[in-house]
Amino acid sequence: MSEVKEQIFSVSEITKSIKFILESTFEKISIEGEISNFKAHGSGHWYFNLKDEGAVINCTMWKGVNNYVFFSPEDGMKVIVTGRVTVYPPRGSYQIDVRSMKPSGIWELQAAFERLKRKLFDEGLFDEQYKKSIPAFPKKIGLVTAPDGAAVKDMISVAERRFPLVELVIAPTKVQGAGAAENIVENIHKLNYLKDIDVIILARGGGSIEDLWAFNEEIVAREIFKSKIPIITGVGHEVDFTIADFVSDLRAPTPSVAMELATPDIEELKNFIKDSYSLSCDLIEENLNEYEDDIEQFVNSYSFRFPFEKIRKFSQSLDFSTLKINNAIEKKMNIISNKIALVSKSLEAHDIEKSLKKGFALIKQNAKFVTRKKNYSVNNPVTIKFYDGEIEIS
Amino acid sequence: MSKKRSADNIEGKLKRLEEITNTLEDSETNLEDSLELFEEGVKLSKECFSILEKAELKVTTLKKDLSKLNNLIEE
Repeated sequence: MSEVKEQIFSVSEITKSIKFILESTFEKISIEGEISNFKAHGSGHWYFNLKDEGAVINCTMWKGVNNYVFFSPEDGMKVIVTGRVTVYPPRGSYQIDVRSMKPSGIWELQAAFERLKRKLFDEGLFDEQYKKSIPAFPKKIGLVTAPDGAAVKDMISVAERRFPLVELVIAPTKVQGAGAAENIVENIHKLNYLKDIDVIILARGGGSIEDLWAFNEEIVAREIFKSKIPIITGVGHEVDFTIADFVSDLRAPTPSVAMELATPDIEELKNFIKDSYSLSCDLIEENLNEYEDDIEQFVNSYSFRFPFEKIRKFSQSLDFSTLKINNAIEKKMNIISNKIALVSKSLEAHDIEKSLKKGFALIKQNAKFVTRKKNYSVNNPVTIKFYDGEIEIS
Repeated sequence: MSKKRSADNIEGKLKRLEEITNTLEDSETNLEDSLELFEEGVKLSKECFSILEKAELKVTTLKKDLSKLNNLIEE
């Protein structure tokens, strides 16, 4: 039998000791492990396990600190967490109170990217049939982007140059770091409520995979899919492909190109108008010439000339007839007037003869009959005309 | 809707312009109609040009807390 009197602890006492030893020993530690049983509670706190081949440890990450994690943790992801050990006496359990978390390597993000891409692809979120067409003449374009970055400046100048008829509605958005994904979702949602936005451009300039991570988040992908307004993505540089690019209605390699895809080119429109104008002029001239030719042909055709010929013939024969009639009448008139002259002469003569026969005589002076006293000249010779002859008295 | 933006107008006008040239190209169209269309086309061209020449880019910013928007969302 041992002489040493065994110390007996109450449960609370020993737990208190354990708590003290553990918590003071592991005040700030970093642990690498794989996430399992990850749960984001409605309260905003995260609960999950970290495990490796031989062990599992419970972890909590409170709302407020988990705001600073730029990616969404998920089961299977290898991460490095930093925090402290805490003991919870009522349940006799210990856990890690996680203060910060990062992927244990870039390949973890790549793997998460591939997993999500696979999952959304299988669900059909990338299907062509869901892609909305981009309107050719937008009135309002919503920009979900950082309000002060180079991307927004580039997009404004592209719009200015290509299609200044448009109105840009900028939704100032956090595009990197913790909360970026949520902010993108919120602003896409808001623009959808505005009703009069024709197309949304979701854009961000170039950056590292961590910088662009918000565009690889599931909530962003789902919001893009849900949007009633067509969305063009222009994220990073040409080589960068994000999940958002796969699910959006149109992917542009950069923000500037996104704006180019969203707007018609004013110079092209002007050329179109000019071309239409000159084509119309040519067509109408051609049309008029055709009619002119038709009319000319018609005027020169035999059937059109025929009536004139007929009229000409008629008028010629009319002229001829008139001439004939005139000549005939003239001739007749001459004959008649000669006859009249003759008759009247003989009538006249006959009249005087009658008076002379009765015994009257006529006095002539200078070969003219003197019919009145005042015409008689005493000094001139007189001829007296009797029925049976004349006597001259000088 | 305070000021009617002309973008939708120009879309319609450009479409009409295309229609007009197509109809003019169609040899079935009679002269009277052609001349009428031509006149319309010339007028439209001028209008479109003037709209494009006068256009000025408008940039607005979505406010963080739009009360109007929030009401809409609640509805």
